[in-house]
Amino acid sequence: MISYSLLDFRPIIPELVLLFFTFFILFIDFAIPKAKKKINGFIALIGVAVTLVVVLSLYGSNWTGFNNMIIFDKASGFVNIILLLTAFVAILMSLDFIKREGINFGEYYEILLFSLIAMQVFCSTYNLIVMFLAVETLSIAMYILTAIKRDGLRSTEAAMKYFILGSFASSFLILGIALIYGLFGTVDLLRVRELLTGADTLHTWMALVSFVLILVGFGFKIAAFPFHAWTPDVYEGAITPMSAFMSIAPKAASFMALMRLLVVGMFPIQVEWVKLLWIIAVFTMFFGNLVALWQKDLKRLLGYSSIAHAGYMLVGITAANSLGYGAVLFYLFGYIFMNLGAFSVAEYISKKNVEGCLIDDLRGMGYKYPLAGAAMLIFMFSLSGVPPTVGFIGKYYLFSAAVKSHLYWLVILGVMNSAISAYFYLNVIVTMYMKGGAKEEVVSFPSPYLRAAIVIGAVGTIIFGVAPGSVLNVALSSIVF
Amino acid sequence: MNQLHFPILSFITFWPLLGVFILLFINRKDEAAIRIVTFVFMLVNFLVSTLLYFYFDPTTWQPQFVDKIPWISSLGMNYYLGIDGLSLFLVLLTTFLSVVGQLSTWSAIKDKVKEFNIIFLLLLTGMLGVFESLDAFLFYVFWEFELIPMYLMIGIWGGPHRVFATMKFFLYTFTGSVFMMVAIMATFFLFHHYTGIYTFDMFQLASHPLPYHLQFWLFLAFFLAFAIKVPMFPFHTWLPWAHVEAPTVGSVILAGVLLKMGTYGFLRFNLPMFPNMVHTLGIVVIVLAIIAIFYGAMVAMVQPDWKKLVAYSSVSHLGYAMIGMFALNSQGMEGSIMEMVNHGVSTGALFLMVGILYERRHTRLFSEYGGIAAIMPRYAVLAGIVTLSSLGLPGTNGFISEILCLIGAFKANIWYGILAAAGAVVSAVYLLMMFQKVFYVKTRNVKNLGLKDLNLRETFYMGICVVVILWIGIYPNPLLSRMHVSVEHLLQHVNSHSEQITIKDVDKNLAYGKLVKINAISRGGL
Repeated sequence: MISYSLLDFRPIIPELVLLFFTFFILFIDFAIPKAKKKINGFIALIGVAVTLVVVLSLYGSNWTGFNNMIIFDKASGFVNIILLLTAFVAILMSLDFIKREGINFGEYYEILLFSLIAMQVFCSTYNLIVMFLAVETLSIAMYILTAIKRDGLRSTEAAMKYFILGSFASSFLILGIALIYGLFGTVDLLRVRELLTGADTLHTWMALVSFVLILVGFGFKIAAFPFHAWTPDVYEGAITPMSAFMSIAPKAASFMALMRLLVVGMFPIQVEWVKLLWIIAVFTMFFGNLVALWQKDLKRLLGYSSIAHAGYMLVGITAANSLGYGAVLFYLFGYIFMNLGAFSVAEYISKKNVEGCLIDDLRGMGYKYPLAGAAMLIFMFSLSGVPPTVGFIGKYYLFSAAVKSHLYWLVILGVMNSAISAYFYLNVIVTMYMKGGAKEEVVSFPSPYLRAAIVIGAVGTIIFGVAPGSVLNVALSSIVF
Repeated sequence: MNQLHFPILSFITFWPLLGVFILLFINRKDEAAIRIVTFVFMLVNFLVSTLLYFYFDPTTWQPQFVDKIPWISSLGMNYYLGIDGLSLFLVLLTTFLSVVGQLSTWSAIKDKVKEFNIIFLLLLTGMLGVFESLDAFLFYVFWEFELIPMYLMIGIWGGPHRVFATMKFFLYTFTGSVFMMVAIMATFFLFHHYTGIYTFDMFQLASHPLPYHLQFWLFLAFFLAFAIKVPMFPFHTWLPWAHVEAPTVGSVILAGVLLKMGTYGFLRFNLPMFPNMVHTLGIVVIVLAIIAIFYGAMVAMVQPDWKKLVAYSSVSHLGYAMIGMFALNSQGMEGSIMEMVNHGVSTGALFLMVGILYERRHTRLFSEYGGIAAIMPRYAVLAGIVTLSSLGLPGTNGFISEILCLIGAFKANIWYGILAAAGAVVSAVYLLMMFQKVFYVKTRNVKNLGLKDLNLRETFYMGICVVVILWIGIYPNPLLSRMHVSVEHLLQHVNSHSEQITIKDVDKNLAYGKLVKINAISRGGL
């Protein structure tokens, strides 16, 4: 007989708060006339903000509940903050945009919040079954959000691709989990670690196999090579706020889950997974950056760039020290500002009912919209890792952790990638400022909320680039497992 | 130590940012106001920076005018500014050239004046930060940051091939820099491994050089970053493009200040932190420098484009600075620092010369000019002095630095001296040819006949350059005396670690790396 007490609910307080708002939208949506659906967005915004406050006030607590199936520790608190900030900015980006695109449904915000709850659960558990449930919930929500523009050709195509490949990856994930259960009779990673510590060769090897299978599922979520193929299509096809949301939130949760899997569950076979991740990290970085060199569509470019950035973050995990894990968290935090900012600018100049946004459309933008241009300049330099931006500080710590573990070649390949990536990021700046013509063709999308999103991005990128100290300390101290 | 009890270095570094802030509120149509405000900000910056010169204590090698506060304290990073005899004159050079360069833009930059001046002020902050940082991480931040405004300056206000030129400039420098970043990280952790201290303080890092088998790769990584920036042969290919396409003031700052960051980097990182490698690999650097002297001079000789000639002359001149530095004696090193300053002033002035004529005729080809001396006499006199200083005529600043570098080279090895001295002759050839082609031969184009001589503003900024050229040429002692103690300290430090490493040690280094890695993994990370 499994019994619960009220204390078991402590670790899921943030989820419950958000769930309350989600259901609130679900019910109130019926009462809101079609023209005023924006109210849903504001409720979602308030819900995310309230949850953020709750998480901030709970940060530092260490709770477990439901027979260790769910936990709330510093690490999940930090990732929760990342998730909620991302959702906050993504909702700001959506408020006017979905109205313009004619998809102003209440469901949009509900599903967004549902996916957010799934991600919150995903990053706060050591239990593989709970992880699987969370990853499936968030995937289904993501499939729907990709296809939310029902009559859009690219949107539906992207969702279809995403769905098929995603289900395929999930099947590997569940197979890996089944194998773990078969081997050790448990799905709790803390227990797996104990059993794996003194395990014989067969169990160790089988654990490695199951790890590789699980990695397929997680690798798909973080868009690591060779499970990245969906990324550019989905980022290009989905509506821009969703591409922005997808480029960070699911990744942040998956990276946290991956770290729990590797650092806790698979700790006894660290030597092996370091080798494997080394290879994956290098290929992910090179693939993302090299293919991005040829992109003509801004959102596609950001898609490939996000593959490359996943590669950089994998460098931090490959380093296998607490500095590296903390650096991954800090990088994700900084990535919110620079990447959401870049997507916001892509949305800012997007035209109504035109899918995609060519880099060439940015011509003359730097002079017609000087502030948005300057913001984009900051984002591009941050993404390529030039100080004084948060992108530089983040990258510095990722690589520095790898140097600490003496992975010199990995770091050298990493910084080479950084140099390669500078080319295509700078190309965006060249188009904005240094190519003449077409000035009158750039039109902006006048949404105050979108402008706020761009400002948040630009200010965050600079502030956390100049004074990263406090957030960095929090990120580093969050790694206590 | 801060003898002024006032954060003067922080002030001059961030004062331009206040200028940026004020410029944001000036209407972009009001170009005169924008220019004057920027000029005033830069002038004030220069005047304040001269305090450094007067209050500098020439009797100590310790950093002076220090500003130090913890920045990212948990990881050993400090906001740490300070100068010593090595950097004092580079700071002054930067503030000086920014004033002169800004004056030259009043007529040269007619498009997007507001953006231009904002970027120029940002560039000034970046450049000063590089020369003032004594924290390796902070140094790297400024070192990279300064690329952004320069990239935009060439890319937006440059010539017809500006996009290619600026991309090449950025990517080249950035590639070198990221390797330096790895080297900074590795030095940081290895230093901790041997001393138990986590620090980015450059003086502290230099105080205990790493075991010499570890210095090899670190030296090479720093070498790559700085050699690209100097630029040394064969990493110079970005330079002619960037110079030719950049607007005049861009070239002035690029040649005058940005190239000095490379040579300064050698003085701050390679020499003090990896002294054993300096003794081992110094010969390679000197050979590359001698090649650069000849190669730069020869290529300059055949250029049909005036600005390209000056650009290649930079490659040649900085060869002297490198030889002097790696000669590892006090004459050579003082000559090297003098060469950095003098090249900044002289070549900056040469670019200004080119720019003045370019504004009037919109061409830089020698075949279009000739006989300018008779048409623009005031210009010809000033240009003549600048040209002579660049080729090192006694009485001008170029002579002092070149002779010191040559003495240093002769003292180190007679062959270095002979080869470098031969290079000096070649440089005289192309500079005199240049002067002749533009000013003396019969004019080749009737359009030249109507050219106006310098106006008051142009006379003023060229005149100031000439005054500095003559002042340093006739009375260099105040400069030499201020750098002497720092140079002696550095040399003593470098020469006290003179064990050379062999190929065997490099092998040991590789084996060591593997060993450490195995240990780290078997320890299991956390």
